Amino acid sequence: MNGASPECHNNIPGNTTGGGGGEVSVFERQQARMKWQQQQQMLFNGNDHQVPNMLSAMQPSGLIGNFAIKPDPGIENGWPDFSYGDQLGYGSGFDHMNQNTHSRMTSFRPPLMADQTILQKNSSSASLSPKKRKAHENQKLKVVSEENGVKEKELKGCSDGDSTETSSKEKPKLTEAKKQEYIHVRARRGQATDSHSLAERVRREKISERMKYLQDLVPGCNKITGKAGMLDEIINYVQSLQRQVEMFVSGEVSAVGYSSEMANSTYLQLNSLLEMGTNPIDMVLRSIGSPVSIPETFVVSSCFNQIQPTVTWDADLQNLYRMELQHDTSTIPFQTQKFTGSYEGSNLKMEM
Amino acid sequence: MSPSQQPSSHNPTCLIKNRFAHRFVRALNNLNIKNRSPHDENQIYRRSHRVKIAAYAAMASVVGSKRAWSRAVLWKVRNRSRNQGLLVSSRRKRVDCKSKTSNDHHAKVSVVRRRNPNPKREDLDPFRYSGQELKLRKLVPGAATMDSCCLMDETADYIKCLAAQVEVMKTLVDFYTTT
Repeated sequence: MNGASPECHNNIPGNTTGGGGGEVSVFERQQARMKWQQQQQMLFNGNDHQVPNMLSAMQPSGLIGNFAIKPDPGIENGWPDFSYGDQLGYGSGFDHMNQNTHSRMTSFRPPLMADQTILQKNSSSASLSPKKRKAHENQKLKVVSEENGVKEKELKGCSDGDSTETSSKEKPKLTEAKKQEYIHVRARRGQATDSHSLAERVRREKISERMKYLQDLVPGCNKITGKAGMLDEIINYVQSLQRQVEMFVSGEVSAVGYSSEMANSTYLQLNSLLEMGTNPIDMVLRSIGSPVSIPETFVVSSCFNQIQPTVTWDADLQNLYRMELQHDTSTIPFQTQKFTGSYEGSNLKMEM
Repeated sequence: MSPSQQPSSHNPTCLIKNRFAHRFVRALNNLNIKNRSPHDENQIYRRSHRVKIAAYAAMASVVGSKRAWSRAVLWKVRNRSRNQGLLVSSRRKRVDCKSKTSNDHHAKVSVVRRRNPNPKREDLDPFRYSGQELKLRKLVPGAATMDSCCLMDETADYIKCLAAQVEVMKTLVDFYTTT
């Protein structure tokens, strides 16, 4: 391995290696990086699902593109601040990258501290052993690409803890990484590593993940692939659900309206059962009593013709509404109304 | 949901159904206490509208303020109640002190302009407001201004709760009709 990349010239003065063919040296560097990462992986036992991605993130042309000189001063700025431990990387990208690198680096502690101190002291690279230099370069390369990737993905609002793909997640000391609200993404092999496309890819993956979840929710969507078809199905389903609600509303108006006292007693029983603090479903399951007699006017309603009597009953719900008439406790302390209707203009008291 | 699930209250959908049933029946009861039997079509229509609002509000209050759609629903209902209250009071007393509109002498309709928690910001991204996503945003309450990713989240939760609501209402109606 030849040695330092051209970018390292700024930071490691005196380390003028004849890095000739750029691609060759980069490729070799990446190979060395892979080896190094494998070493690290063996050290840290592959808890990091990120590692396979790291290993496959070798694309010479793509990675080269990100090796701008720009981050290097940032690295230089970052290194000296290394000792702090609790700064949230909200502000500059450099701080964040710094912290990120901190998390990254402390996870691979042994070789890197040496590198860091060496860099801080700005000593000549001649003191670096070739292996350390390699490791340092590789680490810097990783930092660079990661920093580029991370900088553009300051998704503060939408980030979750599980979306951070740092290897330090499981290390209790590296809590700074957990506090991060940046999405850490690594470019995969064969994919563009432009920061915008990385962000786009993250976004698309999120959306497709949610689409899959929606596919499970909406019945009959197994065969439909693609966002457009799924959206259509979802829209249809939501519309049909809302229409069903309207249908049942009109049914209930007729039903409940014609027997208000029945509704009262039903409500009282339901209320009493629920407020006795027992598990309502189990309780009601045992309290199957004689069905309430309902006036015949119930049945006569035009809306009910639409409702098919062959409904699929959930046994628990079914029994929920069959309550004993004898179970009549009239003096039920009504708790504070969690929901009082706004129908007469009274204020709604919502339980939040 | 299988009925054989022993700790059925641990099932989140079951919990939602329980709570929704509880609140919905209570709301219906309140409705029934106030109005006995509707006489004419107008009353029937108004009553059905109220029942519908009761259903949606009960569902939204079960979910609470965790979700944007529930917040939007509750906000709408609350606003509507305040507006209606003002409407009623203004018709009686012609008082417009509560309204924020200044020159409201007539006080026929005093609309309280409250800050919408989910204001539509159309200038942000015109693409959002076109096509299928727009339809979805119209359907799901409170989803007009969120990004696609959160929209999917809200839609999923909304569908789940709506399905639970429909099931409970279906059971209620069946109970009233068959037993």
